[in-house]
Amino acid sequence: MLPSASLHDATVVLDDRPVVRGVSVEIGPGLTIARGPNGAGKTTLLRAIAGLIPLARGSRQVSGGILYIGHRPMLLRGLSARQNLRFISAFRGRTDADVVRALEHWGVGAVMDRPIERISAGQRRRAALARIDTEPEPVVLLDEPFADLDRDGVELVRDAIARAVREQRAVVLVTHLHEELDRDAARRLVLADGRVSLA
Amino acid sequence: MIETTASPLPALRLRPWLGIVATALAMLVSWMGLLWAPTDAVQGDVYRVIYVHVPAAWLAYLAFAVVFLASIGWLWTRRPWFDALAVSSAEIGVLFTGLAIVAGSIWAKPTWGVWWTWDPRLVTTAIMFGMYVGYLLLRGLSTDFERRATRAAVLGIIAVVDVPIVHLSVLYMNSVHQLPTVLRVGGDPSLDSQMGMTLGFSVIAFTFVYFALLAERMEIERRRQQRLLDVRA
Amino acid sequence: MRALDRALLVARRELDAERRQPDGVAAALTFAGLVVLLESLALGPGRAHDPDVASAVFWIAILFAAVLLVSRSFDRELEDDAIDAIVALEGGRDALYAGKVLALAAVIAIVALAAGAFSIVLLDLDVRLAAHLVLVAILGVVALPPVVVLVSLIALRVRARVVIVPILAFPLLAPQLLAATAGTSAALSGDASAALGWTGLLASFALVYGVLGLTIVPAAIE
Repeated sequence: MLPSASLHDATVVLDDRPVVRGVSVEIGPGLTIARGPNGAGKTTLLRAIAGLIPLARGSRQVSGGILYIGHRPMLLRGLSARQNLRFISAFRGRTDADVVRALEHWGVGAVMDRPIERISAGQRRRAALARIDTEPEPVVLLDEPFADLDRDGVELVRDAIARAVREQRAVVLVTHLHEELDRDAARRLVLADGRVSLA
Repeated sequence: MIETTASPLPALRLRPWLGIVATALAMLVSWMGLLWAPTDAVQGDVYRVIYVHVPAAWLAYLAFAVVFLASIGWLWTRRPWFDALAVSSAEIGVLFTGLAIVAGSIWAKPTWGVWWTWDPRLVTTAIMFGMYVGYLLLRGLSTDFERRATRAAVLGIIAVVDVPIVHLSVLYMNSVHQLPTVLRVGGDPSLDSQMGMTLGFSVIAFTFVYFALLAERMEIERRRQQRLLDVRA
Repeated sequence: MRALDRALLVARRELDAERRQPDGVAAALTFAGLVVLLESLALGPGRAHDPDVASAVFWIAILFAAVLLVSRSFDRELEDDAIDAIVALEGGRDALYAGKVLALAAVIAIVALAAGAFSIVLLDLDVRLAAHLVLVAILGVVALPPVVVLVSLIALRVRARVVIVPILAFPLLAPQLLAATAGTSAALSGDASAALGWTGLLASFALVYGVLGLTIVPAAIE
């Protein structure tokens, strides 16, 4: 079976420094956790898989759609959470995406029509994460999704990951907390100085 | 990006003989332009500036065309050699463009009484100068090799596309307003044969100077690129 | 046509955001109005009334307004990495460019309308050929975004972006400035054929850069 996404001997250079070096990974259904110290290249690796950064060397293969939820919410200020998510779903050609239900599930139903610069950072994070439900892409890349969240929020993320795994989606999670998730991880990647090893 | 500074063309031992030929031609043309070519009946000796102005202007456009081709080359092949070619040509180009404008002004003042006039080629050259400077500025502000090369390449392409449009616009403006034409340079049928030859040699000499400078500058760039690739490896 | 739909979605998103956060439009309108006002003050009623002068000042003001607007637009995109959400999607780069061009054209049109009306009233301009004036104005406005958005995308993560965008854009926009000014002046003075000639140039310019922009944008945006 084809991996959902893979990088082969990938090198990413930023500001003339190799941030990801000769990395080969294959991402399949289930949970993949990527850990490593600050500056190890975790975010860059995720962005490379998402196709947001060109590879200086190596190749990238993707066999389906990708949902990338980055370290920052990636929502446009001046628009509400509902408008933001509706835009993205419409862009992907999905008219049936139930944005309202997703936002309510993630606890921001009450503020979903407020411009996002006027809701809290935690609420913005929840709105961004609601995309896990509105965009059923086979690959889900999550970069530090627990940031800014309270305990309920963290629970919602854990549930969402478990649900995604049950739905046979490939979830790649970058985090440096929540070691308890390693138990359920199908793959554990450790990044150090741009290189990846399997734990 | 392809991790080599190598050129896609067969290697040619251009340095130093190209520089030697260019220097020799420059000396020859200096003599021709300053002494050998006759004094103009109408303009006196000041006309001799065209032996600098015309070739410099020709080279400004040539250098720009090379930037265009090199930019396409980089975007297509991601070969650092093309980026080296682009920046080298741009730097030499800005030099020659500035020279062309200054020489043109020096000629225009005693001849027509004005430093500047609304002539399509002058305006286009001035705007080209602005674009060159912007190109180099953009490169100067970029930090990463590949991003810098790509940004510069895109700018190089869109800037060059603009040059004929600018030229046409000013041409149309002049025709609409029926402004008196145009600095006639080299198109004058009554140009003395010695003057014509000097002008021709001038263009050839300047072209050699361009390629000599290009070769030198590209070698400098190649070394910089090599150092960079070594660090990244 | 999916690509057009996506572009329209981006345009709609842009206009919605601009409506909710109209600081860009407000700044552009204020700036353009001030330029016209200061012009009439500095030149005096006689010279400011001249169609050539009034046209030139108007279009220079619009040029700066356009740069202001696009700068604000991309500042907004970079906050919270909103732009990444689109670039990560298939067809995102093209839609981003096309959508921003469409939206920016609409917003500049609003500024041009307001500034134009203001100019005509304040400077007591005679408008001999109103229809031609409108045509020149529309095409003059439409010719701006393809270049300005493209330049902004090239310089997106460059230091001092707010300064380098005008430095790069203005030489490129020389034909637009020339043609729009001359065309406006012609329309004001009643020279119909000249006005139409200039609209032709503006239309070609807009077309060339629109096509070039769409072709080159995938390479330009990281």
